Amino acid sequence: MTLALQALAVTILLSVAIGIYRIERGPTGTDRMLSAMLFGTSGVALTLVLAELTRLGGLRDMGLTFALLGALTSVAFVKRAWGADD
Amino acid sequence: MSGNITTTVTAARLRRIVNRTALLALVWLVVTEADTHSLVPGVPIVIAGAALSLVLSPDSLMAVHPMGALRFVRFFAVQSVLGGVDVALRAIRPSMPLQPAIIRYPLRVTGRWPRVFLTNTISMLPGTLSSRLDDEAIEVHVLDCSRPVMRELADVECRVADLFGSNLPPLEEEGAA
Amino acid sequence: MSWQWVVDGVSYVLFAASGFFFLAGSVGLVRFPDVYTRLHALTKSDNLGLGLAVAGLSLQSGSWIVALKLLLTWMIVIVAGATACYLVANSARDSEIEPWTGEGR
Repeated sequence: MTLALQALAVTILLSVAIGIYRIERGPTGTDRMLSAMLFGTSGVALTLVLAELTRLGGLRDMGLTFALLGALTSVAFVKRAWGADD
Repeated sequence: MSGNITTTVTAARLRRIVNRTALLALVWLVVTEADTHSLVPGVPIVIAGAALSLVLSPDSLMAVHPMGALRFVRFFAVQSVLGGVDVALRAIRPSMPLQPAIIRYPLRVTGRWPRVFLTNTISMLPGTLSSRLDDEAIEVHVLDCSRPVMRELADVECRVADLFGSNLPPLEEEGAA
Repeated sequence: MSWQWVVDGVSYVLFAASGFFFLAGSVGLVRFPDVYTRLHALTKSDNLGLGLAVAGLSLQSGSWIVALKLLLTWMIVIVAGATACYLVANSARDSEIEPWTGEGR
């Protein structure tokens, strides 16, 4: 099972790596924000996989915290994007 | 008469306090993985959380119908899997079949919570994504406008209404189909 | 053949599917033509990927309370994801980013 979890962790990292392309290309700030949202979901998944892989239950708390912070980043982005227009 | 109303209001308020405290206690148990050392610090935290929630939003949050909720969870689980499969296949197929369009779906369901809930639900379902909610309609971005989107949205709306314990007629009865 | 064998087999399938949906979400993010279609890929595919990972991890943990905690985490991500998706789509509409309609393909 260790191998399967390691493979999943690497796959998630790969999906993040692919997502970086969108930050590079844009073209709008909103497109770049999408990559940040991708990192949010992937980050939670990766942390939870690592929690099982390393048997460190505390990492699950980290995953939960990431999940809660993910909501705030998008709100902050939208608020700032609107603020920039004013 | 007025005493009677006061009693009803107090009873509703009491029920709200009990509900929220119980819910937060459950969340605390789950988050701490029912660790025995965390039970004692949990008591003041749960009470403080319930008090704060009542200060911030004293009114009832969501009056959800239990059986409707069960039906909705089943529907949502199946549909969100289909939604993921649908968009994943579109993304990896070399032909990348997309026929996007933006449509307006006139709302029939009333109330702020059901409407916000419907808006969020639509974004998780196959091929639809809410982009604006106003007083009369939801603006929906559709991945494939050759699908019967309006009927699908009407079905979702019925299910959200059912979740909140009210009934909506299917769209066909209005002669729209 | 023991019970554990079945649990592991199901977990392998769930983890493989989870990885597939994370990759497909990123491929959509790169290939899709505009911000709205990319949002579709991100919101739906990645949430399903996380859900499948959570299901597999719950099986592997073998503990009800840990499974509930993973489920809670996923539910938070779903609610946050759907809300974020709406906010971003809405701000894209407000800043008049034109949706791609297939013309000029």
